Amino acid sequence: MLEQIKNYHTFVDRTNPLTKIFIGILLFLLVVLMHNPNQLFYLSLIMLIIMIILSGIRLRYLAVVLVLFFVFGAFSAMYMVFYGTGETTLFRFGLIHVTEESLIRGIHIMMRGLTLSFFGALVIFTTKLTDIFYSMMIQLKLKPKFAYSFMAAIRMVPIIAGEYMMLRQARKVRKPLIHKKHISGIKGFITTVITLLSQSIRRAYRLGVAMEAKQFDDGPRTYYYQTAFSKYDVLFVMMIIVIAFVSFCLGTEFNLINVTDAR
Amino acid sequence: MAVRKGLTLTDVLITVVIGFVFAVIYSLWGAIYTVLQPLGLHLNELAYGMWFIAAVIAYLILRKPGVALLAEFAAGAGETIVTLQFDVILIVYALLQGLACEIIFALFKYESTKMMTAVYAGIAAALITLPIDWFYGYLAEVATWNIVLMFSFRIISGALIAGVLAHLIYQALRETGVLKFVGKRKLNHDEGL
Repeated sequence: MLEQIKNYHTFVDRTNPLTKIFIGILLFLLVVLMHNPNQLFYLSLIMLIIMIILSGIRLRYLAVVLVLFFVFGAFSAMYMVFYGTGETTLFRFGLIHVTEESLIRGIHIMMRGLTLSFFGALVIFTTKLTDIFYSMMIQLKLKPKFAYSFMAAIRMVPIIAGEYMMLRQARKVRKPLIHKKHISGIKGFITTVITLLSQSIRRAYRLGVAMEAKQFDDGPRTYYYQTAFSKYDVLFVMMIIVIAFVSFCLGTEFNLINVTDAR
Repeated sequence: MAVRKGLTLTDVLITVVIGFVFAVIYSLWGAIYTVLQPLGLHLNELAYGMWFIAAVIAYLILRKPGVALLAEFAAGAGETIVTLQFDVILIVYALLQGLACEIIFALFKYESTKMMTAVYAGIAAALITLPIDWFYGYLAEVATWNIVLMFSFRIISGALIAGVLAHLIYQALRETGVLKFVGKRKLNHDEGL
């Protein structure tokens, strides 16, 4: 599906998924420990540029994704902007008390989310799902029963989504005949979940029996796809280290706002 | 069929599929959660309990060690797949919340299907990620009433949604009869279903 909206491939496509996940965790720690809004601004900016260049996704699709990121990021920082503590009042309305400090802190929190979202988008746009589970089996020695269960279950997600749509349409048709509480509210939610769950459990059970019969079980095995660590992983790690270092230096040298600690 | 200890492939597959069903629901729920956010009054925290309902329901269905953790991880990972957003925070949170439920269920020796067990698990999962939120969202710098509001909303939500609602779903699911062949109650013949 991703192939259709991709223009070109880069070395990130060949980086081992495990490297990306590991870097993702480190990046999360880095972002939490970074208190200087200037540094974080440069980090998120560079991450945005890197994401646009290296993902190879058509700009039209990237634009949609970026708008969503900014909206979600802004929403998640609202509590801090409105109710954060601070000295210099900018705006006050009832309980809402916007101060300079809380505004900067809110933007800081938003940039944290954005940095991680940009990196996440880069990973999603350059990774094949099956590769993740194969490299977990081969490099991390994950038990095959877990990996194959995940890969089989992923194929069921479209079926689950399709069943949900069918259920909605069926309800639409029967709407005048049944009580409203079966459609909306908690009762409606439970009936939806029960329908989806019971069908999925049946399907999973049957598939599980079939897969056990075909020996998709633990034990020595060979793999259809091979994954390995390569020079591209080194390159990827180096790139992230350079990005972190450059944003650190830029944030220290060229201050955009005269605040060095968001706390 | 010989009785095997631990999780069989079928158990794992059922758990992961339950996780993925909730991944679809989580993605839809995300819209509700986001709509409640802009006021900043933490109304979204009232919807927070939904994020770990998968762990509780998977445990109630299968009642084996590791199921809660696996289901919650599958739901979290599935959500990143469905919404096409790889989100490290989400997966770390999912793992921690699954772990919190797992600890509670281990205390009950993976036997209890009482509603209170589910409620305890929901509260534990609600509490476990608060320290990370504290550092990530600079919560020390927010007005105190706002923090208290957020914490209490989250705990209430964990108890009500991941506890009570999860148990209601489990009961309704048991009535459908699909649970006859899964988990600890598994019968010795593979017909039916």
